[in-house]
Amino acid sequence: MNTKLTIRRIFLTLAVFLILTPCSHAKLNVITTTADFGAIARDIGGDLISVSVLAKPTEDPHFVDAKPSYISKLARADVLIEGGAELETGWLPPLIDGARNPKIESGKPGHVMCAEGLALLEVPTTLDRSQGDIHAMGNPHFMTDPLSARHAAQRIAAAFSTVDAQNSAAYRQKQEAFLHRLDEKLPEWKKQLEPFQGRRVIAYHNSWPYFANRFGLKIDLFLEPKPGIPPTPAHLAEVMTTMKTDNIRVIIIEPYENRKTAEAVAAKTGATLVNFSQYPGGVKGTDGYIELIDTLVNTLAAALKTSDASKELPK
Amino acid sequence: MSEAFQIMMWPLLACLLLPGLLVYLGLHIVRREIIFVDLALAQVAALGICMAILLGYDAHDWQTTAWSGGFTFMGAALLTLTRPSGKRVPQEALIGIVYVVAAAASFLLLSRSPEGNEELRRTLVGEILLVQPGEVLRTFILFTAIGTVHLIFRRQFWLLSFSPEQGKSEGLRLWRWDFLFYVLFGIAVTSFVRMGGVLLVFSYLIIPAVCANIFATTLRLRLAVGWIVATLASVVGLYASYRLDLPTGAAIVCALGLALLLASMIRMFHHK
Repeated sequence: MNTKLTIRRIFLTLAVFLILTPCSHAKLNVITTTADFGAIARDIGGDLISVSVLAKPTEDPHFVDAKPSYISKLARADVLIEGGAELETGWLPPLIDGARNPKIESGKPGHVMCAEGLALLEVPTTLDRSQGDIHAMGNPHFMTDPLSARHAAQRIAAAFSTVDAQNSAAYRQKQEAFLHRLDEKLPEWKKQLEPFQGRRVIAYHNSWPYFANRFGLKIDLFLEPKPGIPPTPAHLAEVMTTMKTDNIRVIIIEPYENRKTAEAVAAKTGATLVNFSQYPGGVKGTDGYIELIDTLVNTLAAALKTSDASKELPK
Repeated sequence: MSEAFQIMMWPLLACLLLPGLLVYLGLHIVRREIIFVDLALAQVAALGICMAILLGYDAHDWQTTAWSGGFTFMGAALLTLTRPSGKRVPQEALIGIVYVVAAAASFLLLSRSPEGNEELRRTLVGEILLVQPGEVLRTFILFTAIGTVHLIFRRQFWLLSFSPEQGKSEGLRLWRWDFLFYVLFGIAVTSFVRMGGVLLVFSYLIIPAVCANIFATTLRLRLAVGWIVATLASVVGLYASYRLDLPTGAAIVCALGLALLLASMIRMFHHK
């Protein structure tokens, strides 16, 4: 009798175990549009989630070529994280349509829009195509400001906690750890760029107003005459004249932008070319978001410093 | 498998239903030796799209379609006028010129319009993977209509491409039929280009027709061979695209290329 009971118990425990195992060990399937959200999702989800990023960090996030795997990934996703500021508007909606996954429909807790609740910069007062490739909701490159990343982390953690409630304590704890690291780093970054307050830097595309605002720089002159329009000779000549008169000596360039144009301008003006990226993995040694901003701040500060030093040399 | 089917269903339907007409038109095009006429007309249609976008219309407005259609019409008229009467200037040269000038003109227009850039890219590469059900159905209805016109006037169109001299002696007004042919052809090509892109439309027109010419001489047989080649290559290409996660349009184009290679090899061994 006793043995029978024991066997029964073992069977029961086994059965319960077998039923529960898949649930408690199944990882939350997280898809992000760009690598910045992917990196933050990994920081917050850790081993509890598996993350897959659609756009490569070296790929222009305005244009992403659809592949069948993107649809099947979205079909199996528990959570989709996107910017939600129209950056992905050219390619994401048809992919979501194709995936037919109710969990990530817009409005569902599994569809995270990181920009929601953020005040975006450069919201156009009138929509006019002559102004270039503009976004009605404002400039979508908000993640270059660490405080936007703070906001995104909170939204992501909240979504994970809703979708996977039994692990919500863990998500919250990891979110706190991430925010703590970010809050510690921010004053350091500000201090590093402190000596260069108000300095102008050239960019290829208007991706850096949030970064510039946070660190007191002016990144307001672009090699593109208007967002999305390739550089024209007349515009480049104008930019080079301004660079000389205002003594602007640093150009930042991202992996998917036309490097040859930037190199030519740099060669003609004696400016330094700095490799930048909005996305972790877009420049070497930047797997996480904090490492990315760290690298950006370091390399930019170094470039500004050398350009200052060379300025002081007699010509 | 069900997931594969769910993802690839509409692209598959598009690639099974729509090339039927393209293969038929391809037989005409190959016979007339105006291989690049589809590229030229597609580019002229794209120029119309660029023009509409520059005027401030959205890529999906009806005005854009009207502009694109109007340009296609003009392109058709231009190609009708260039039907070779003498042999001094080959028609292929004029087709090439239409293509290059239309492409350069789009480029000029696009330098002023960022949205157009995206649109033109889409025209060239296409997005067969993300094709919308409504789009497939609309295009299928359009293709059925064009196919019906070709079915009704099959004799005239056949004479036009395959023995224009005989047509002339029978009192056929060649230029009228030529114009109708190019208009219908232009509409078919540009509506498929919006889905599949220039590369795919070119391949569906030319490759099955060439395979058909390898194996068959009568129209019926050629059509049968062409349709079989197009269907098999579509299925193989879509399957490869899904399994190996490749860009869908390019995978189908390569599958069609492979089909031609196989066809020529079979022919070679058959002869020995």
